[in-house]
Amino acid sequence: MTLLRRAGPFLVVALFLAVWWFAATGSPIFPTPGQVATALVELVREGTLIRHVASSLYRVTLGYGLALLLGIPIGSLMGWYPGIYRALNPIVQLLRPISPIAWIPLAILWFGVGDSSPIFLIFLSSVFPLVVSTTAGVHLVEQQYIRAAQNFGLSGLGLYRRVIFPGALPHIITGMRVGLGIAWLVVVAAEMVAINSGLGYLIIDSRNAGTRYDLVVAGMVIIGVIGFILDIIMRRLETLDEVRWRYGTTR
Amino acid sequence: MAPRAKFEVAGISKSFPGETGPLLAIADVSLTVQEGEFVALVGPSGCGKSTLLNILGGFDKPDKGEVLVDGAPIPGPSRRGILITQRGSVFPWMTVRQNLQFATTGLPAAEVAARFAYYIDFVGLRGFEDGWPHQLSGGMLQRVEVARALMAKPDVLFMDEPFGALDALTRMRMRGELIEILARDRHTCLLVTHDVEEALHLADRIVVFSPRPAKVQAVFEVTVPHPRMLTHPALVRLKEQVLRELGLSTLDILRDGTAAHAPAAGRSATPEERIAPAELSVRPSTPMPRIGGDAVEQFDVVVVGGGPAGASTATVLAQAGLKVCVLEREHFPRFHVGESLLPAAWELYDRLGVTAEIEAEGFTVKQGISFGLPGQNDDLLLLISEYPDIFPRPYTHHVERARFDEILLHNARDKGAMVREGWTVRDVLFQGDRAVGVLAGPNGTEPRPILAPMVVDATGQSCLLARKLGWRRPDPALNKVSHYTHFEGGVRPGVGPEEPEVRPGAQTTGVHTIEGGWLWYIPLRNNLVSVGAVLDARHDSGIRGSPQARFEHALQSSPRVSRWLAGARQTMEIQTISNISYLNDCFVGNGFAMVGDASMFVDPIFSAGVMMAMRSGVFAAEAIIECARVNDYSATRLEAYEARIRLPMSRIFKMIHNWYAILEKKEAGNLFLRAREIPHLRERLLVVLSGGYDRVDFESLLSEAGEGR
Repeated sequence: MTLLRRAGPFLVVALFLAVWWFAATGSPIFPTPGQVATALVELVREGTLIRHVASSLYRVTLGYGLALLLGIPIGSLMGWYPGIYRALNPIVQLLRPISPIAWIPLAILWFGVGDSSPIFLIFLSSVFPLVVSTTAGVHLVEQQYIRAAQNFGLSGLGLYRRVIFPGALPHIITGMRVGLGIAWLVVVAAEMVAINSGLGYLIIDSRNAGTRYDLVVAGMVIIGVIGFILDIIMRRLETLDEVRWRYGTTR
Repeated sequence: MAPRAKFEVAGISKSFPGETGPLLAIADVSLTVQEGEFVALVGPSGCGKSTLLNILGGFDKPDKGEVLVDGAPIPGPSRRGILITQRGSVFPWMTVRQNLQFATTGLPAAEVAARFAYYIDFVGLRGFEDGWPHQLSGGMLQRVEVARALMAKPDVLFMDEPFGALDALTRMRMRGELIEILARDRHTCLLVTHDVEEALHLADRIVVFSPRPAKVQAVFEVTVPHPRMLTHPALVRLKEQVLRELGLSTLDILRDGTAAHAPAAGRSATPEERIAPAELSVRPSTPMPRIGGDAVEQFDVVVVGGGPAGASTATVLAQAGLKVCVLEREHFPRFHVGESLLPAAWELYDRLGVTAEIEAEGFTVKQGISFGLPGQNDDLLLLISEYPDIFPRPYTHHVERARFDEILLHNARDKGAMVREGWTVRDVLFQGDRAVGVLAGPNGTEPRPILAPMVVDATGQSCLLARKLGWRRPDPALNKVSHYTHFEGGVRPGVGPEEPEVRPGAQTTGVHTIEGGWLWYIPLRNNLVSVGAVLDARHDSGIRGSPQARFEHALQSSPRVSRWLAGARQTMEIQTISNISYLNDCFVGNGFAMVGDASMFVDPIFSAGVMMAMRSGVFAAEAIIECARVNDYSATRLEAYEARIRLPMSRIFKMIHNWYAILEKKEAGNLFLRAREIPHLRERLLVVLSGGYDRVDFESLLSEAGEGR
């Protein structure tokens, strides 16, 4: 039983690979897992993989970092001051449902074909989840905590730093996780247009330059793996003692 | 110094917006509170008394009228008046220490440290400084709340149903603690409550409010000095008067049979409240039941349970000349698991006067412990004889508990305790929050009361009192299941070929790690071996089949133990117990204490159970003897026992968590692994595992072991 439970995930992956291998064998274009693995080795050996991964991560870091820098303060202000909430909420709700992909033409118009466009798109995609969850987090800080803090003489920034922010932190972290997930989705899409590095570029270039589908799939695999690792890192944040109270102690 | 007015409330009114226009919450209330006075504001729920408290605290402003504090208008909320509510405002994102120090933000570090050290002891939370609120019980959280308020050294404490969320007994205990705090550190107090008894217990003055809008309906002075017994005739009379003002008196309730007649605005009981008092107390007014006109028996101390903890308690008490009665359900000898002892027990045998008898019995000599560690070829072998001077003898025993427990209980009888085997204790009798005796009788007969000002719960895992009071706190991280049995004819591995034997045939307690837990292998006399598997409960439930099958499954995952038992015969059916470790919130109350497994159960990995049970019995008895000297068995005095036993307890728990950390994460750099290479770590680990929890610098032991990570 235990053995099966532990081995289960590996079995599913193995089955998946087997079906893939079987289906792809004989296809002139679609690669088998073996060909993808060879392609991966080739990418690593040439040093192109590390270059593409680095440029993608670089853009995500800047775009997502910018979103953190702006999203958390804006969300905090919206959560704390009802006036600011009333003023900003309609525009946030209006912009939020627009897919970042739809912004690509405008991004190129405004920022050209450098790093700036994808960074802008990543910022745009992750800032809204952050604003919304920070606002909700601040809203949900229980009245008795705020009252106790005021009772002990805290106000203004001190109150924010020691009570409002830590009280909202579990929600903010959830927003950070969602935001980073979207950012990683968007960077690939953004890199497929008018740019010449990054994992998205790797994929689109491999197809255009000689229909190298083994490289296309290898790129996809790397995207999946990195996205998975990023999510694990964000999940680790949720296990910190400072925020566990909100998620319940069962984790 | 003549008392001066702290608060002057002159004709205030306050209303809130409602659906059909403003709702008047407070109507023209005037009130003066003197410096240092304790005033209780009593009234039906929702009558507006909390609103009044918020106005006094500066959280809210009245529509009309004026409030002066020390002769000046209230500027707003400040540290001079701290509000404590039942909802609790201990910040869950800070440790206990950070919460307390929050109250002293901006003060010099030395002052903060001094106040912290004082108040953490004051509320009995030493040892929990770095714990997180989600790890604490309700009662402990409320103490953090109170300690944090006191850290600010406020002039005034505002309390809004401060203990409303606690169970009935913890609430009474917190009241007692509050009275003590105020006796040492006088504050002006304003208490909002709907519990008339709470008001009678604490306040100098009771102000009764009418239903909404709140108006002062009556004021009562309470002049009975502290500590107050609620059965005091003046308080009983006063209670009747206050209840009548509130529109419900005990007479009405008794006549109707239920309290349903009480106004809807009356108190709403929490589930605990509804169950606890009826189950727990014999009403003071009810005459004690008698059988056939016999006088009720009376002792100084009644000990419930005759295992090692109960027997040790009774022996020490009897030696001091107290009149003790031990009530044990079984007839000894009887089987019990937990056969491995620790060298620290020698000091306890001496204390009980039973050393010679234990020596003469010829139990199997245990010279140490051998740990088979996961992923390591060599066992970690720790022999007490490596450091022969630490304990009175460089060995201890593996005992058949049937015989060992019998020796201890007979010894208690020899030393003068009245020991009754085959007696069942149905219940512990309470008067208010004070234990006054037990309801007990020979098995199968109608129980009758036995009175004693002190009751000791030594009922083992039954946890008679802790379950009743809701004080039992299981540790979900140590949720284990044990399957165990005895074998005849298994291999007796001894202490290993290269090691010197202190006695011929000396053995070690074997601990063998297996998938999902570990096995114990304890050679006993008569060619018997006790073998048990301790498995993580989740792992165990993943294995299908009968306990026998599960046990065999566990056995097979240790090739060595399987080999040792190859030719052996299993002599009894597999026994299974749920092994979840627990630690009670408190070990003592007024007139009662819990010892041994009735106070806590530790995972069996370090064989600490029996020795700790005996030690807790001795410590409890020593505290009780002090109580008997001044004829005061209050919780405050009995806490001397709890304080002494908590430290070794917490250290055992730390060691156990440390051990399971290796099993679960296979941590390198763990204390156990590093002890093999570093002699001074090895010595201290050996001392700790032998029961010398307070003989080493424990924190530095753990931190040095951690440096290798």
